[in-house]
Amino acid sequence: MEKLEIIDLHASVGGIQILRGVNLEIRRGESLALLGPNGHGKSTLLGLIMGNPRFHLDSGKIVLDGEDISALSPDERSKRGLFLAMQNPSEIPGLNSADFLKAMMNAHREKKMSLLEFYRSMNVAYEKMGIPFEMSKRNLNEGFSGGEKKRNEILQMLLLNPSFAMLDEIDSGLDVDAINVVAKAINEEAAKGTSFLIVSHYARLYNLLKPTRAAIMVNGRIAVDGDPSLIERVDREGYEWIKRELGIEIEKEIAPAMNQVSIGVCATKEAVNNGSK
Amino acid sequence: MEANKRVIDYFQDLPSKAEIVVGEGEEVLLRLLPNQPFEDVAFSVKVAKNGRFEGVFADIIRHKGHFSINIELEGEGAYAHWLLSSIGLNDDRKSFEPSVLHLAFRTEALMESYGVAAEKSRLAFSGVSEIKKYARKVKTRQSAKIIVFDPTSDGKSSPVLKIADNDVEASHAAVVGRLNEDHLYYLESRGISREEARRLIAMGYLVPVLPYFEEKESSIISDSIKGGLFHV
Repeated sequence: MEKLEIIDLHASVGGIQILRGVNLEIRRGESLALLGPNGHGKSTLLGLIMGNPRFHLDSGKIVLDGEDISALSPDERSKRGLFLAMQNPSEIPGLNSADFLKAMMNAHREKKMSLLEFYRSMNVAYEKMGIPFEMSKRNLNEGFSGGEKKRNEILQMLLLNPSFAMLDEIDSGLDVDAINVVAKAINEEAAKGTSFLIVSHYARLYNLLKPTRAAIMVNGRIAVDGDPSLIERVDREGYEWIKRELGIEIEKEIAPAMNQVSIGVCATKEAVNNGSK
Repeated sequence: MEANKRVIDYFQDLPSKAEIVVGEGEEVLLRLLPNQPFEDVAFSVKVAKNGRFEGVFADIIRHKGHFSINIELEGEGAYAHWLLSSIGLNDDRKSFEPSVLHLAFRTEALMESYGVAAEKSRLAFSGVSEIKKYARKVKTRQSAKIIVFDPTSDGKSSPVLKIADNDVEASHAAVVGRLNEDHLYYLESRGISREEARRLIAMGYLVPVLPYFEEKESSIISDSIKGGLFHV
């Protein structure tokens, strides 16, 4: 990827307008920290870029290297080098992790990987992420702890080697050691030229990743786009100064929380005692 | 397969009726992988003291049939495990009724049914797990899980427990869930096409039966949801 352009993006979820004219540009090798209060559209923006069908694009464009990808399906976007490490990765019952990873990697190649090549790649990625290889036998994300899910997201990123990766609160649920492991893997990808759009509420992750730029999203728009010193300022002062200095009134949460979802489960129980005592 | 286990296979037609007797201390494995449609099939199984019965049904063909299996655990320590994976496609109308009757002390049963209802198919799981009075120290579990893929398909799951003694462990669960759009999106966001994502999710419902079959039959089962059967 050379350039991703977000042009005047308006979008809604369930009839509620969340994004109200987002303009943003990310170039090859850049690493953009996206900050902002909860519920102001950060996750919505990331989901829209990836093609999440929950979000409705009202107007505007997402342009990747000159191609308007706004109408492409998520798998087509993935094949063009986009990746999203999700805030709440889905648990998929019955789908073995290794089978999923194989399908994922083969989807990005014309010729299917040999079993040997696949296991070698998996081994390297599992080791790098500090995940026991036995986890590959478990169902995808099912019963994984919050931290395991997040490591598993980065593991997928390593295996896919995207040119543009979005990380949605990848540090939530991770302990200090795990944050270091995840940050190391991200930095290695960045060194290869991968561009990043990183959402986090914590300076700790940003200190490890050293983004090249920072932007603040307020009320469904990019209110400030500047250098990484913004991260430190937000960490120190919060968002109050935006109102004071820029005259932007910060609304209450406008985006509905993105909940974890799992397959619908309704358990029914009926115990019948026939009374023949 | 273990040498001392009697294996009964039906890999072509299913008989309309069949009776299986598992003798004292005997082990029997029943494997069903019909390649012909059926209408009404009833299996009856009686398990004697310390006998072990396992029944596995890979239902991958198109049909509008009803299948029932009644397992009677007659002798102390008798055991039964029933496992079904069923794929509903086109305009299939499939119903399954696996039931178990605990008649003796320390009998144990696990009745599991998995199903995928796609396209215009209808899938129904019922069955009764019943524990008679004085059949104590019994363990029984009945679970049925169906995933409904399309707005035009439907699934119904209604297993029942009937318990007439207090000194037992019994549970059951019925799960009918629609194919989750978030699951599809997650897989698609990794470059997997929608059709392949549907196939991968459906495969999860066939996987439980695979270890019971040899490679040739396992491939037939796995391949049954390839080849464009899972259109978007």
